[in-house]
Amino acid sequence: MKINQIYVNLPVKDVQKTREFWTKLGFSINEQFSDEKAICVIMKEDHIYAMFLKEEFFHTFTDRPIAKGDTTQTLLAIGVNSREEVDEMVKTALENGGSKYSEPQDHGWMYQNAFSDLNGHQWEVMFADMSKLPAE
Amino acid sequence: MKVNQIYVNLPVKDIQKTKEFWTNIGFSINEQITDEKAVCVILNDNIQVMFLTEEFFQTFSERPVPKGDTTQVLVAIGLDSREEVDQVVNAAVANGAYQHEEPQDHGWIYQNSFWDINGHGWNVIFADPSQLPAE
Repeated sequence: MKINQIYVNLPVKDVQKTREFWTKLGFSINEQFSDEKAICVIMKEDHIYAMFLKEEFFHTFTDRPIAKGDTTQTLLAIGVNSREEVDEMVKTALENGGSKYSEPQDHGWMYQNAFSDLNGHQWEVMFADMSKLPAE
Repeated sequence: MKVNQIYVNLPVKDIQKTKEFWTNIGFSINEQITDEKAVCVILNDNIQVMFLTEEFFQTFSERPVPKGDTTQVLVAIGLDSREEVDQVVNAAVANGAYQHEEPQDHGWIYQNSFWDINGHGWNVIFADPSQLPAE
């Protein structure tokens, strides 16, 4: 079984501020799926999207309360095309209200840096060079 | 800015049971990055889910793992037909998941959902954008 696309749905307090944050990181918005209750960020056209839903709206899709930001249910790791892109994205995130929760890690074949976004969702940004993956 | 891949990382209690669950639903395992602490499920070439033992997951975040009484994320995955959607949800339910709500048919999008054996919520969809109503 193979899927054709993924939408990662996350709750947010302020849709407009969330839109500004992700736009500043350099991502485009799918306006067709965005309104005052939700914003759809295009991470990879036709394949990978992040949907940020206003908490009240998100809540209509689950029978459990929304996490209050004091726990972590998910860590989202996204791959970009170079170490420079990794650091640039994290730097821009920190300049725009994101926060740092871990130090960059260089594993040779994989470089990783991370930020916590405006809403406390944690993103691991990585550049992986599979050709350098050590043989087992 | 574009990403080339995504790994959705989620905490689980039991790696072996999680591996069996996702295998039974029909997905393949990326054995290269699977061990006793984590299992990597291949959703497609660019989209993978890493299920980590709670203890291991915890080492990557300064906040505690939730106890399953809240929701921070819901993951929606797209398949190629209504039949595949129902097949995946039925297989999930047959293997210990529960159906979260009744399937919804919006014409251009058909949606079914399950909550997996670790309490993570999955919306399974078939979307046909050509049927999207004009605004």
